[in-house]
Amino acid sequence: MRKIIALAICLFGWSACPAAEPAAEGRWEGIVQIPGYPCRLTVDLGRDAAGKPVGSIIIPELHIKGVALADIVYADAAPATISFALKSVLASAPDAPARFAGHLDGNATITGTFTQAGNSAPFTLKRIGAAQVDEPARSTPVAKALEGKWIGDYELTGYPRHVTITLANHAGAAASAEFVIVGKKVNNLPVDLLVQDGDFLRLDSHETGVSFEGRYVKERDEIRGVCTQGPFEPSLILHRDNGK
Amino acid sequence: MKTSLPVCALALACLAAQAHAQSMFRGDPAHSGLYASQGPREFHRVKWKFPTGASIVSSPVVQDGVIFFGSDDGNVYAVDGSSGKQIWQHATGGPVASTPAIANGIVYVNSYDGKFHALDARSGATKWKFATQGERNFEAKGLNGMQPKTQTMPDPYDNYLSSPAVVNGAVFFGSGDGNLYALDAASGDLRWKFATGDVVHASPAVVDGTVFVGSWDSYFYAVDAATGKEKWRFHGGEDAVMHNQVGFQSSPTVVNGTVYTGCRDSNVYSLDAATGKENWRFYNDGSWVNTSPAVKDGKVYFATSDSSLFHVVDALTGKPVLRQQGNAYMFSSPAIAGDTVFIGVLNGTLEARDLATGNVLWTFRTEASKQNSGWILSHEGKFNNAMLFRSGWYFPTVTATARQASVGSIYSSPLVSGGTVYFGSTDGNLYAIE
Repeated sequence: MRKIIALAICLFGWSACPAAEPAAEGRWEGIVQIPGYPCRLTVDLGRDAAGKPVGSIIIPELHIKGVALADIVYADAAPATISFALKSVLASAPDAPARFAGHLDGNATITGTFTQAGNSAPFTLKRIGAAQVDEPARSTPVAKALEGKWIGDYELTGYPRHVTITLANHAGAAASAEFVIVGKKVNNLPVDLLVQDGDFLRLDSHETGVSFEGRYVKERDEIRGVCTQGPFEPSLILHRDNGK
Repeated sequence: MKTSLPVCALALACLAAQAHAQSMFRGDPAHSGLYASQGPREFHRVKWKFPTGASIVSSPVVQDGVIFFGSDDGNVYAVDGSSGKQIWQHATGGPVASTPAIANGIVYVNSYDGKFHALDARSGATKWKFATQGERNFEAKGLNGMQPKTQTMPDPYDNYLSSPAVVNGAVFFGSGDGNLYALDAASGDLRWKFATGDVVHASPAVVDGTVFVGSWDSYFYAVDAATGKEKWRFHGGEDAVMHNQVGFQSSPTVVNGTVYTGCRDSNVYSLDAATGKENWRFYNDGSWVNTSPAVKDGKVYFATSDSSLFHVVDALTGKPVLRQQGNAYMFSSPAIAGDTVFIGVLNGTLEARDLATGNVLWTFRTEASKQNSGWILSHEGKFNNAMLFRSGWYFPTVTATARQASVGSIYSSPLVSGGTVYFGSTDGNLYAIE
């Protein structure tokens, strides 16, 4: 009797049938048919430890590798649909991300429409295996010796800049940084990535396009590096701020 | 009958002026950008289009009903203005990214082959050639912030060659070899050359015995037309790191003793033609001004690159009169014909704007622009830079720049003659629209 019920569910409502449930998780390959410029796609769809949908995408023609997918929505009602957006790349405006929206044909194909900058084109994806979702770069804790307030100065286009970087660890979590550059005005730069890798320390403020990468020199208790702003790469030596 | 004679005389005088006024870049040696013909206030039809083998950034000129222009396919063309039929073509050894000048039955034009060509206007046969020290693009290390920053890179937006002006038996033009040249118009003999510090791809204006031109060395020069001696120089902006905000790509316009020129440093300058003293500057928030200004009735008309703005400012004070937001970069120079101003846009659109309000009267889009292959443009017709410029490295960036031009960009400055607008496109066509 249970088999009959299961069969009936499969026949009349496949989204309710566990065996036929359109699990979108996996690695998908295909192409988006932008007129005159077809682009290869590799899309990885999975779930994080909390069961939340996660994903990443590769588009070699557009120099895109492992960019995180945003706003991933599965809808299992027949026909099963999936949509996701790209927020960190290809957005024509902050509120206009590029977006994929499609439906699953059985369990092996996704077909749909890609929209970007008001243009739209069809895409097709075929499942090829298990998902290999690119993990976004994550901030790390920093060594005890690096904690605290660091200051330094450099010159850019003839004007002096004063830099203050304050590093703090947090129990069981990544470290955080305050990154302030004072030139003609005070710039508090939001740091979205802080990584210590051996003696090297890197801070990225993607929003402002400013980063600092330096090496901790234990003997001198200073961090020697470069503050990068587009084509500008002035040297910057950070000393511990002793409150003077 | 009493009244018809003066009218005829006036008409003939106008025709003569018109013939002269349209036979070189920007219409005349002062580069006024003014055309005697009224341009179409409404789009009626494409009268004809003439295909060539490569992009056209050269601007058309007209003499006796014949349209002359160059193409990056290496040829100079003479085309019947009424029918669009080819009269002749003449092959040079390189892209002809300069605008011809016509005087005394001779077509003068500059080519990337490093030679300056004088051709018979009727047949296209060579009259003489003059070899410069060779053409080249403006180049710099880490240009425009591209990587690798230690690599010397040619500028992908250095699209034009200098176009000649012919005055009093001499022909004047600039060169990628950094020189401003004066040649004897009849023989091609060198009269003098004036060395600047970098590429001269702006086109010289010649007024009252002075040659005016800017160089990529960041200076704008006034040179004695007879002797080649410097009269004065004006220093524009510098950009030692990115080399983005430096150089005069715009060609000057000289009106009533005043020089107006755009600059890559984002300013439009008004300079005293006699002394080089700055009257005013109009800053454009980092956008290049590559268009050559047009000046009429005390107003200066120009457009910008990245900000894609069409501006009108007061010629005396530089104060803004009006501005209109365009869709894409403008390098083409505005052509004023009656109460209409025409300008090309790099998204493959020709715009006709009302002279008084700046409002768009009509637009023409190339087929390539409409097709928008590869989504070069957004749905609204703006450059889709989020899609195009996906890398800061040189080769991907240059490839993206080349892809921009695939929509039929209009670098060419429009010519208005006999109620028809003529212009070239990077789709390889010369268009005649009425």
